[in-house]
Amino acid sequence: MAGEVVGTALIMNTPAADQVIVAEGLGRRYGRHTAVTGLDLKVRRGEVFGLLGSDGAGKTTTLQILAGILNPSAGRATVLGYDCVREAASLTARLGYMSQSFSLYGRLSVDENLEFFADLHRVPEPQRQARKTRLLEFARLAPHRDRPARFLSGGMQKKLALCCALIHEPELLVLDEPTTGVDPVSRREFWNILYQALTQGTTIVVSTPYMDEAERCTRVALLHEGRLIACDAPSRLRAQMPGRMLELRARPQRRALAVLEEALPRSRPYVFGDTLHLHQEESPAPAAPLPDLLAARGIAVEQIRPVAPSLEDVFVTRLAGTAPPAAPPATAEAPPVRERTGLAVEVEDLTVRFGDFTAVDRVGFSVRRGEIFGFLGPNGSGKTTTIRILCGLLAPSAGRARVAGYDVRHEPLAVKARIGYMSQRFSLYDDLTVGENLEFFAGAYGVPRARLAARRNWALALAGLEGEEGRPTRGLSGGFKQRLALACAVLHEPEVIFLDEPTAGVDPLSRRRFWELIYRLSDQGVTVFVTTHYMDEAEHCHTLGLLYNGRLIALGTPEELRAGMRAGEMLELECDQPIAALALFQDAPGIRASFFGDRLHLLVDDAEAARAQILARLQRAGHRVHHVERVPLGIEDVFIAFIEMEQARRAAEAA
Amino acid sequence: MNRARLAAVLRKELIQLLRDRIMLFLILYIYTADVLMCTFALSFDVRNLPTAVADFDRSADSQRLIDGFGASGYFSIEHWTTREAELGGLLNRGEALAALVIPPGFSRRQAAGEAAAVQLLLDGSNANTASVAQGYAQRIAQDYALERAQRAAGQPARLAVEHRPRIWYNSELKYAYFMLLSMIAVAGMLVGVITAAAGIVREKESGTIEQMLVTPVRPAEMIAAKMLPTLLVGLTALFPSLLIAAWVGVPLRGSLALFFLFSAVFLVSSMGIGILVATFAETLQQALLMSFFALFPILFLSGTLVPVESMPWVLQYLAELSPLTHYMEALLGIFLKGVGLEVLWHPLAIIALISATLLALSIWRLRRRIG
Amino acid sequence: MRGLIGAVIWKEVREIRRDPVTIWVAAVLPLIMLYLFGVALSLDVKDAAFAVYDEDGSAESRALAEAFPNSGYFRRTHDIRAQREIGERLDRGQARLVLVIPEDFSAKLARGETAAVQTLVDGSFSATAMVIAGYAAAIVQDYNLAQLRRGGAPPVPVTLESRAWFNAPLKSVNYIVPGLFGVILMAFPPLLTALAVVREKEAGSVQQIFVSPIRPWQFIAGKMVPYAAIAFLEMLMILVAGLWGFGIPFRGSLALFLLATTIYVFCTVGLGLLISTVTRSQLVAMLFALILTLMPSFLFSGFLFPIFTMPEMMQWYTYLFPARYFIDISRGIVMKDVGIEILWPQFAALLAYTAAVFAAATRLFRKKVAA
Repeated sequence: MAGEVVGTALIMNTPAADQVIVAEGLGRRYGRHTAVTGLDLKVRRGEVFGLLGSDGAGKTTTLQILAGILNPSAGRATVLGYDCVREAASLTARLGYMSQSFSLYGRLSVDENLEFFADLHRVPEPQRQARKTRLLEFARLAPHRDRPARFLSGGMQKKLALCCALIHEPELLVLDEPTTGVDPVSRREFWNILYQALTQGTTIVVSTPYMDEAERCTRVALLHEGRLIACDAPSRLRAQMPGRMLELRARPQRRALAVLEEALPRSRPYVFGDTLHLHQEESPAPAAPLPDLLAARGIAVEQIRPVAPSLEDVFVTRLAGTAPPAAPPATAEAPPVRERTGLAVEVEDLTVRFGDFTAVDRVGFSVRRGEIFGFLGPNGSGKTTTIRILCGLLAPSAGRARVAGYDVRHEPLAVKARIGYMSQRFSLYDDLTVGENLEFFAGAYGVPRARLAARRNWALALAGLEGEEGRPTRGLSGGFKQRLALACAVLHEPEVIFLDEPTAGVDPLSRRRFWELIYRLSDQGVTVFVTTHYMDEAEHCHTLGLLYNGRLIALGTPEELRAGMRAGEMLELECDQPIAALALFQDAPGIRASFFGDRLHLLVDDAEAARAQILARLQRAGHRVHHVERVPLGIEDVFIAFIEMEQARRAAEAA
Repeated sequence: MNRARLAAVLRKELIQLLRDRIMLFLILYIYTADVLMCTFALSFDVRNLPTAVADFDRSADSQRLIDGFGASGYFSIEHWTTREAELGGLLNRGEALAALVIPPGFSRRQAAGEAAAVQLLLDGSNANTASVAQGYAQRIAQDYALERAQRAAGQPARLAVEHRPRIWYNSELKYAYFMLLSMIAVAGMLVGVITAAAGIVREKESGTIEQMLVTPVRPAEMIAAKMLPTLLVGLTALFPSLLIAAWVGVPLRGSLALFFLFSAVFLVSSMGIGILVATFAETLQQALLMSFFALFPILFLSGTLVPVESMPWVLQYLAELSPLTHYMEALLGIFLKGVGLEVLWHPLAIIALISATLLALSIWRLRRRIG
Repeated sequence: MRGLIGAVIWKEVREIRRDPVTIWVAAVLPLIMLYLFGVALSLDVKDAAFAVYDEDGSAESRALAEAFPNSGYFRRTHDIRAQREIGERLDRGQARLVLVIPEDFSAKLARGETAAVQTLVDGSFSATAMVIAGYAAAIVQDYNLAQLRRGGAPPVPVTLESRAWFNAPLKSVNYIVPGLFGVILMAFPPLLTALAVVREKEAGSVQQIFVSPIRPWQFIAGKMVPYAAIAFLEMLMILVAGLWGFGIPFRGSLALFLLATTIYVFCTVGLGLLISTVTRSQLVAMLFALILTLMPSFLFSGFLFPIFTMPEMMQWYTYLFPARYFIDISRGIVMKDVGIEILWPQFAALLAYTAAVFAAATRLFRKKVAA
């Protein structure tokens, strides 16, 4: 790892006063389990330092040690000049920390939560009011000051927790997966607050499962099984990645993927929108055999071109050697491909009211059999409520819903026999083993005895847990739990499966494998109804529905949505100081700027007209611009544009 | 009910209960250590009551009376004094719970054929102990008086009426017998309510209940499957209690089978309370708080500590609604009285009726949540 | 700006104010419990069901039978006509005492012989059976003495004048209520505080406390004060309700009582916090609170079951629970009107206990997520 040596050497040269974190040989054991071992880290003042890794890699443990609330069992760490163990009291007073869990007081209002944390950190009265106002303004929480924290949406809660961690203007901010389960809009606002803190000199250490967030870090550390396996700037990590990434456009895509998986398992092909990406190890490898390979199987290759690897590719490549095979082997029993014609889900004028509050407001859509239907929307927009109705867990206040041909209100049992459901929290029985969980759900769904063994083996293969039937579910990592939960939900070969945020908080490798499973099910004619906050996953869906405040505000394929939304055109800007550049465009008329990885995305009405204006502005401010180019609108941009349009419409309505 | 489905849910519940160390430990603790400790320590018996004596007479007569107190076993004479003030101190400090004061001239007055009065001071700060002690003291004094009267008359002892008291069911009046049965009943109540409530609320908290509710499993099947393992463990846990009972010497005069039948029906009713509580609670904490405060009065006001009949009539009617009252009645009937169904069909029917009502309510609540 | 302790208090007060469960538990349940236990926990024997099987049917036998209801302790419910009915009445619990007068009763009395009568007592609840048997014996003895007097024997040579100090009418409620003060304060405040820290641990908000400059003792003190204040108000509430509602005379010094209460509330609240610092889940915290505070204060504090009858080892065990000291103080002040000169050992024990609990809670509260 040459890059790491270079990185370390660079750090060594900087004055010690600039080192916010110096960790040497850090290790932590829980009983016989080693969570972290031999960890060396250095973080400079003013950095945004990302901590990546799959579940159980040791991210939380590392952050807790650095925050002084967990003693390491080996090694030492100096943070802000204080020893993490001996001077923990002085250290904790100077940093801001956000744990993964809900860290607010639910019964206290937004304002009271801030007050309490200001008290705890002895923030003097004059500064206090100013900071509170500024933070709330920035987090767009000012209108909700008197709302109890527990009634805020998930995204708002995270923003408030961040404000609470920032109220004493700490020198160092330690954040443990702060945006897991948060919708893209709130996530943007969350990062805006972070950038604000950054410009005031705060150093940030953050762990995240989102690769676009990782791209925004000055440096990232990749942890695996408690060890540091890479640590450098994202651009450098990308550059150091051996081999190259190829983008392949082929018809039919699914066949192409299957062929590639079989012929080139080490290239780890995966679906990226309407293309396939795969990794080629030998840098100068000839691209020629690929089309031949595919053509021989009757697949038409439309285009092959090398693309820059994403951080996710780096992540996957680095970890792939250590993980089990990406896809479950084709089992002896090929499930029958289902009828693909007709509608699997029909919803008309669906409305749910809880008291005065309308959670779902006259929603209507339909889902074809075998389709992957992506259900998007900010936290608290009514997605989960809709799914609960479709699963027969909740009765609608008005409207009609049919699932697999049966009315959910009048024939709930018939519906239940034909659907699978995976709720937000991978609801398995923790105290049962893998095999016992499978047996229970098989029995509960009434899988016939004769099919039991076959389905069980199939499910174990699906979850990648063959030979692990006896393992207690409690000890499984998030990725395995998630796949097992899916396996349990499809044991009885349902016609429709409902997945409610199935990938929240799961690392990229596991997410990619999970989506492989979803495709496979869809290929077999199973209808998949899925909610997600990952916009890359949204691209994988056949149809998208966007829910906002209980209303369905957009419906169509990703392409249709892009085409239908006259959102404008997108320019991607790469420059040497993106944070300062963002500030430059913060209130420029006609330009909406946001981060995209380590680059800026500028939404404008006319790309060509705006380009010159933007370049001029950057040059005036003395920025070095690497390049500006027009890129297609991301689904996240579309999503946000739709929401802003809806907000404007409602504001007009109200006025 | 679908048999295969029920079997699947049942298996899962059984595994979960058997793997839940804390719960099993709790059940075992309640049925053994708790039963044992309470049986041995707690009693309303009055034996060896710390007593002070102030004998201002110092005669053979006064000594005879004091001996009567000392030999009875009820009073243990621990303090002697001839100063009135010291008696007050002893009682105030709680060092003596009774004081016997024999005035000067006690013996002389009797010889002169006059009535002699002795005084018994009792610490009324435990009224029950005091009234039992008072009864004993009265008898000792009367015995002494009779004997003295007969001695004076020079006749052989002859009484007009000979009193032959007989105590049924518990001839030695051992409170331990009652306490033990009472603790078994209380244990059944605690175990039934807590395991059932925890079993359902835990699923609510972890979200698995939704997962279960989207399967074709019916609420009735779910509840049946939740109850059977607890019933099994609860009935098994009765065996150590029975061993303790045998060791303490509690007689089993009735039928063991009837005891188990009652225990089973009673456990179902207590689980019914737990399940109903669980349908209202969203978190384990809420469920525990609710069951706790529902339980506490039920536990102690169902004839397990004090007889129901000495309570005000309002509470007597309320106690009728508590399955524990009827179970307690049945336990006393089966163990101490040796009566069978001919007497006990009535409590059995009531407990069964309470169980059925609770379960019907719970199933209705669970259904409503879905539909 | 508030101080650090003040900040925690301020936050805690706001949270409690918006938590209906806590308010309910703190304000209403103690009153309900006071009422229930105040009226229901009574071992007084009054109007016990009494049946007579009078085979003689003479004036003499009727006079003896009449003496029972006349005493005020018994209520004549049945006149039994056949031998087998005796068992039935007792089995069904329709009579607690049966008086059997044989057919030769009056004949024997007339002949100057000793006539025997039998009393059958339902011993299944031994505590009251003891009292009932005592009363029955005393009534028969009275009858005997009256007979002796009529036969020309000298007047009764000895009379026993019993006087119950502190509680002259020997009413249960007079000692139950001052004891309940100690029990209720041990039942609710520790439970609420036990959940107070664990809830933050489970929710994760305690990690924000870890990364703040607050010291453990400040955090514990901040948590303690509001709950102690609630407990104190609770005590005032049940004190007023107890004294007025039940007409209990308050004999001693109110100031001293309130001083004891102040120490005691910090002790009970501190115990809850101690439990909560050593446990990780609300379930375990609640069970601990149940086993360590509520049960012992109810059963092993002398509240209901006198301590002097316990085996010695269990008597030592009772010293482990602060309720014992407070109940001594409470009864001492309310019933006995004794002061600090007598109660100082209890006060000292309570103070030491409270200090130890606070110190332990502070020491065990570590600002770390794992050991």
